[in-house]
Amino acid sequence: MTILKKMTATLAVAGGLMGTTALADEGTLDIVFINDGHVAPYHVAWLSGFEDAIAAYDEAFSDLEVTGRWLSAEGSLEKMIQQAEVTINEKPDVMFVNAINVDAFEPLVAKAQAEGITWIAVHSPMESADYSFTLGDVTNGRNQGLAMCALSGGEPFQVGVMLGQAGNPSGEARRQGILEGISSCDNIEVVAEQPADWDTVKAQSIAENWLTQFPDLDAISGVTDGYMYPAIAVAQNSGRDDLQFYGYDGDVPIIQQMEGGNVMADILLSGTREGWNFVQMAYRIHKGEELDKVYDFFTPLVLSEANHEKALANGFPEDIEVFYVDRALEVATKGYLEFGPDSVQ
Amino acid sequence: MSDAAVSPRRTFALDGLMLRYAVLVGLIVIASVGFSLANSNFYSITNVGILLRSISVLFLVSMGMTFIMLTGGIDLSVGSNVAFSGGVGVVALTTTGSATIGFICALLAGMAIGWVNGVFIGRLRLSAFMVTLATFALARGLALVIYDADSINVDNAAFLWLGGTSWNNLPVVIPFVALMFIALSVLLYRTTFGRNVYAAGSNFNTAFVLGRRPERSVVWIYVLSGALAGLSAIVTVGRVSSGQPWAGLFLEFDAITAVILGGTALSGGRGRLLGTILGVLLYGIIINGLVLTGTNPYLQSLIKGMILLGVVLLDTYTQRGKSV
Repeated sequence: MTILKKMTATLAVAGGLMGTTALADEGTLDIVFINDGHVAPYHVAWLSGFEDAIAAYDEAFSDLEVTGRWLSAEGSLEKMIQQAEVTINEKPDVMFVNAINVDAFEPLVAKAQAEGITWIAVHSPMESADYSFTLGDVTNGRNQGLAMCALSGGEPFQVGVMLGQAGNPSGEARRQGILEGISSCDNIEVVAEQPADWDTVKAQSIAENWLTQFPDLDAISGVTDGYMYPAIAVAQNSGRDDLQFYGYDGDVPIIQQMEGGNVMADILLSGTREGWNFVQMAYRIHKGEELDKVYDFFTPLVLSEANHEKALANGFPEDIEVFYVDRALEVATKGYLEFGPDSVQ
Repeated sequence: MSDAAVSPRRTFALDGLMLRYAVLVGLIVIASVGFSLANSNFYSITNVGILLRSISVLFLVSMGMTFIMLTGGIDLSVGSNVAFSGGVGVVALTTTGSATIGFICALLAGMAIGWVNGVFIGRLRLSAFMVTLATFALARGLALVIYDADSINVDNAAFLWLGGTSWNNLPVVIPFVALMFIALSVLLYRTTFGRNVYAAGSNFNTAFVLGRRPERSVVWIYVLSGALAGLSAIVTVGRVSSGQPWAGLFLEFDAITAVILGGTALSGGRGRLLGTILGVLLYGIIINGLVLTGTNPYLQSLIKGMILLGVVLLDTYTQRGKSV
């Protein structure tokens, strides 16, 4: 969808909201998603899945008017707090908040709950929130690290790990998991760890520096697929066709580079899936269903079939659920299969 | 150069500023009416309180930025300084248990960064852009070290009072900001220091020859901006009940935008605090209204950019008209 189409669609949603804010009966479900930024391909897919799911649920249930909107804080804590305050005053039914730092939002959670709003903390769990939508970051990171161990071949192997923004709980959890996984084998040396602040431009500079500084580097691991795009481009431009990549997010273009490419493993979050899951979760809460306070988003490891077989032969745990490329691509792009209206009827 | 020659009240640019203020007031009225028609909640007491609280920090740092831009300078470090001075204040608070010591340390930390800026820019005559770009990174790095990149919860009621308390939906920080505006207006328009600010921005070398010691004024102006960053840090900690290493991110750009909207010339020597207040208010109303009406964030950036571009074009047009 082009940016122009997105603008038009969102204007239509905004117009629809203006006409419906007066409705407050049980036949409405208003969902607001406040995100920390909107800069990566993951975010675009996330929003797309969220908007598609809103439209699908609204159409599927004739007795329920489902509306939704998303806000981006552009990385600014102050903007996010203002957006949350304004949103609470609007009294939606459910707020998904991907907080830049959860501690800063504790006072607002109480305000939202006093207004009868369900607060769902996204990615970084909050004890005070009604629900926390979590990704199992430590486990996912560990699975990525274990895959690297199994695919590194037992020879001395150097890896650089690109981290998230310092202090971000989700990024820290991913880092912890990756390093735990890597530490299970002796042949891998982490030669560098560097925060790229979720920024693809910084990731590009880091990849360039690493390839100069560590000529024997074998792999780049990242806590987001957003880092993989520039890292792969830098490696190609440097003639490093042998460099391996271990991603995290389940971005479709990255998964597509697994067959015949150098992307060895990824974690299947998928922004599209997550957007659909948000709306399904909000609907289930609206219907009075009891959900786990900490809601774990199902996020399997993605490997090519050939690499999975190779990894198993090298001692990779059999009980770790793995999706192969074709299945991962289908799940990543068709969020409605798992979380559409049919899933709750 | 006499006082009359540099006083903002007696220069021909005053007409241009008055026109700018009229345009800003007009835009504020139009935006307010438009947003209230789109969403009746806009004029609710709760939303007005949210709006004012959300721009209180921007008010404070923008007033400091106005002083700096009046000298033809710029301060890219204020956002990072908010994080750094907040960190120093919170650590002092948690270490000693004294809110007073926490306040003082936050202010001193902010002033220290301002002093570094001022010495390099005023005394050593280095580029304000380059120096504050360096302290932008330096202060953020110090904040991350102080906090160990994680937030620190604060439950000291006295320390949280300024940023977190409201009287019947009126955040107490608003009257505080109003008092600061009055105090800074007196400083700028009624004292020798204020005249020196305009003199340094109008023509630094001439002011130097006339014995106005602009280099000394520049140091104190950056210290003042740092002190306001320290105050902003205290307000921010009160607002979120915690110290945050990423507080104030990109705040400098919002402040520069508001000051330019308010009519202060980038080249220095022209502008008033009233314009900055109007600029901040317009900026805050637009942000609040766009969120309230659920406007797509892509459009939000577009609209903000168009307004800024429009005001700058208007400014250029009116200045050219005068030249002709």
